[in-house]
Amino acid sequence: MHPATRRKLLLALVPLFVAVVLLQARIDPFVAELHKGSRTPFAGLTTEFILGPLLGMQQAVAGLLWVRADEFFHEGDYDAILPMVRMVTWLDPHNLDVYITGAWHLAYNFTDSSERSDRRYIPAAQKLLEEGDANNPGVYDIAFELGWENTDKIKDYQRAYHWYRICAYERKGADERGELTKPVPMFVWHQLAHSLVRLGRIDESIEVWRKALAMSNELVRQDPKDFSKRNVRDSERHNLELTLKRKFSRYTHEVDWSIDGKRTKSIDPYTGQPTPADAYLFLSEDDIRQKREQFTNVGEPVPPMSVGSPRPPAVVPKWETAFDVRPTFVEDKVLDLKGQFNVGDGARVTIRLHDENWRPPQLKAFTFDIDQSVTLMQDQHSVRQGTWGRKIDMSKDPKMYSFKSERYFLVFEFDPRGTSPFIQDRFGWSGEGMTDRKYLYVESDKNPPNRILRKVYRITRAQVFRRAPITEADVFPAAEYARLQKQASPPPPAQ
Amino acid sequence: MAAAVSIQGLTKTYLDVWTKTEIRAVDNLSLDVEEGEVFGFLGRNGAGKTTTIKMLLGLIFPTAGTATVLGKPIGDIEVKARISYLPEEAYFYEGMTGWDLLDFYARLFRISEPERSRRIQKALQDVLLDPQAWRRPLRGYSKGMRQRIGIAQALINEPELLFLDEPTSGLDPIAHAELREIIVNVGRRGKTVFLSSHQLPDVELTCSRVAIIHQGRLLKTGRTDELTAGDKVEIIFEGGDDGLVEKVKQVAGACESKNGAKRVPSVDPKDVNAIVDLIRGAKGSVQAVVPHKRSLEEVFVETVLKESGS
Amino acid sequence: MVTLAIAKQTLEDMLRRKILLILLIVAVAMIALGPSVGFLSPRESSAVLRSLGLAVILLAGLLITVLTGIQVIPTEIERRTIYTVLSKPVQRYEFVLGKFLGGLFTVFVMVASMGIVFLGVLRYQEGRFAPEMAQGVMMTFFQMTLLGALAIFFSTFATPVVNFFLSFGLFIVGNLSSVTESLLQNKNVATRLVATLVHYAIPNFGNFNIQNKLIHPQVVIKNMNVFIMQNIAYAIIYAAVLLILAIIVFDRREV
Repeated sequence: MHPATRRKLLLALVPLFVAVVLLQARIDPFVAELHKGSRTPFAGLTTEFILGPLLGMQQAVAGLLWVRADEFFHEGDYDAILPMVRMVTWLDPHNLDVYITGAWHLAYNFTDSSERSDRRYIPAAQKLLEEGDANNPGVYDIAFELGWENTDKIKDYQRAYHWYRICAYERKGADERGELTKPVPMFVWHQLAHSLVRLGRIDESIEVWRKALAMSNELVRQDPKDFSKRNVRDSERHNLELTLKRKFSRYTHEVDWSIDGKRTKSIDPYTGQPTPADAYLFLSEDDIRQKREQFTNVGEPVPPMSVGSPRPPAVVPKWETAFDVRPTFVEDKVLDLKGQFNVGDGARVTIRLHDENWRPPQLKAFTFDIDQSVTLMQDQHSVRQGTWGRKIDMSKDPKMYSFKSERYFLVFEFDPRGTSPFIQDRFGWSGEGMTDRKYLYVESDKNPPNRILRKVYRITRAQVFRRAPITEADVFPAAEYARLQKQASPPPPAQ
Repeated sequence: MAAAVSIQGLTKTYLDVWTKTEIRAVDNLSLDVEEGEVFGFLGRNGAGKTTTIKMLLGLIFPTAGTATVLGKPIGDIEVKARISYLPEEAYFYEGMTGWDLLDFYARLFRISEPERSRRIQKALQDVLLDPQAWRRPLRGYSKGMRQRIGIAQALINEPELLFLDEPTSGLDPIAHAELREIIVNVGRRGKTVFLSSHQLPDVELTCSRVAIIHQGRLLKTGRTDELTAGDKVEIIFEGGDDGLVEKVKQVAGACESKNGAKRVPSVDPKDVNAIVDLIRGAKGSVQAVVPHKRSLEEVFVETVLKESGS
Repeated sequence: MVTLAIAKQTLEDMLRRKILLILLIVAVAMIALGPSVGFLSPRESSAVLRSLGLAVILLAGLLITVLTGIQVIPTEIERRTIYTVLSKPVQRYEFVLGKFLGGLFTVFVMVASMGIVFLGVLRYQEGRFAPEMAQGVMMTFFQMTLLGALAIFFSTFATPVVNFFLSFGLFIVGNLSSVTESLLQNKNVATRLVATLVHYAIPNFGNFNIQNKLIHPQVVIKNMNVFIMQNIAYAIIYAAVLLILAIIVFDRREV
């Protein structure tokens, strides 16, 4: 090359490079705009994720992936996390957090535009946890999560108890070396006791609290300076006392209180043993007038009551709830509800709409694949001043609510076992203090039986799309609905 | 005749990165190759032959000195159209067929169709490549076939000057002989051939002039027949009278007699006439006057050894 | 004509490389199997399919480009075929350009084949043609054009192994454009200087990563076509810079 040519070429580089810099400055705003949105699951993975496993560094890669998934989590891109969950559990099946977090995403974080969860993924979430539990035998963590998800999200208290029980009696905690040497934390026992309460098995729950208290007393004795252990023990005392108080105030006359063969009115906070103390007595004429109104309201004879005499059980007499609802489709797939419910503010009614032949599926193995044609909507509305209900818009999420079936069940439910203690104070743990002229349904297959409120409509696709109104003629027998659901449901676990 | 290649003081030095010493691959080389001659460039392995050729072709750049090829400074693109090169142990594009390879090289010479196909065909015929192999990939070729293809690619532009670097090394005797024949034929067509080799018998047979290079320096250059010409003559005769052998011995120093045939092994050329006259004067009959010829190999070994010894 | 002859020969030579064909086959198989990976992600199987497809094309394209770019010139030297080429009336710049174009044609053939399979799979899976994904494949190709020019430039003076790490390293650094851009506003002067240098001087491969837009319909870019055209211009101009540098270096290279 002639030196002159070389010089010319070098000079030509100057304007070209200026052009490159100017272009870059113009491209930058576009790139910024581009990255504003969420991230892509696979393109965000660089070569180390692909080369790593080939070099036998599964755990390291799984860890890296999990860090990356965490970034997606903070960006709110839950969809991007799931493939990573699956990959991490494949690469490293002993990472408990991954199963737990993945199942949590599946069960909680997929929502429609009104923040209602996509409950079609709940069986997948459960199966993922079961897979994790099977891969990590002996560790309590995942079994505990199964118990929690069944309590909090699914409200299948029988299944929750099943897992908590396994957790408390059969599992251990892992120490720093990953060996199963530690007893399960005390909160496992607490949840076991709570789950028994949810099943209406109060005496068993009290036994669990006592057992827990005994264990904590021993722990405190071994290490008296550990305040967290003291705190745990104190909360167990409190819970034991509370449960006993609730049991007696709800179901017995004060005079009948007896714990361990001793007549009592409260619990000694230090020993956990019953002590004689203040009675639950009528203290004023106002108290008596309110109770008398209850009896007259339900048309029961009023027993004799006077100031200073013991109160009758809180759940007596039975409370008429006057539960009802009028569902109307005001637009295609937009349901408007006008409900009434004679109950204290804050009680929550569960609303469920699903394909007529939908049953909770029983998965044989974990899969993210769900039947996308299924329509399954579940919501809860709070009661305020005896009324409840608002619009439920299912028109904006055709993926979740495809309405492909011809017939649907529209179910309105109130379960006293899942409600707040102050409502249970009147209704009892299993609805003993509650009655309804129209929609009371007794789940007699449960032990003890549970009295719930349930109104079921069987509606058609045409009604969803407003070609016909929903009328009381569409009301479907609650017992028959329970029978249909139960037919296909898996049998509840033993105990 | 004009010089096809003219080299003045060409030098190429490399720096050995390990020992930090300078290596002179070619050292102040000056040389002329005349047009139309087959020129032999001799040297041991590593003597600087290939380095010289690569400088002449502009593949590497001389440290000092100049050279012209076909009258133009080295690297001239016009000149490159009129010359060609067969590298030592050339590997070609293995996946290509012989025909496609020549087609590729012909395109580099900007030869367009239909001339291109004609040239390819002619070149393949010239190197006696089996036509069945023309459309087969090179990876199936024997060493001899590859070498033929190598020469064919060097002929494709009908060059005035060919640089052939060790074209016959590593071949079996038949292929060797055939290839030598091809080179001789190229030379007969009036093309200038710059043949680098250490296959001395080949050079002796094909080259009209040779240069011997050793450790980058030119040791000897000259016509092949002159270099190999002997300085003694052998005379064989019969008969003659009894004193003849003694008389010849006095002139030539030695004369052997065996079964009636007499041989004078080493005669100085200026004494040949005197001895022949002596024999004929004594009624002897001269059977043969044989000039002593040395092989190029002898010349080469002698030259290189003398250089190494000094 | 000479440049094109060299490019054609290079393309044919590269297409005969088994390693590149294996890469292509593996990539095509992964794209074709993409729909079965949908199970990894509920609700977004289409997004997974799209991002997986684009990622496979990017990854395979990356390997093909680097392997091609670092090889085309050194192979000629190693096999000594370069002697037969450069001893003919071929200018050195024609050789460099021919080798670059041949490598580029190779990458084009590979990326285009993967792209066609990808679009076919999408068409089959989603029941509609997705021309916007062709845009993504095209961006990958221009990204690879720039990377190829970079590898060719390095190959004029570095060994293939060194070149491999140089090209890959700069590809990764050049992909951090969103990071370097945010560092341009850094308070620390030194950081700002380094970021500016990296952002503007090193080939900015991050510009071409438009997958986000293609996979998530909610990401809206005004003047997408302007963006695309600017990216193409960037790739071509920067590649020209690199090729001029390669030509200048190679002109004095002893072979």
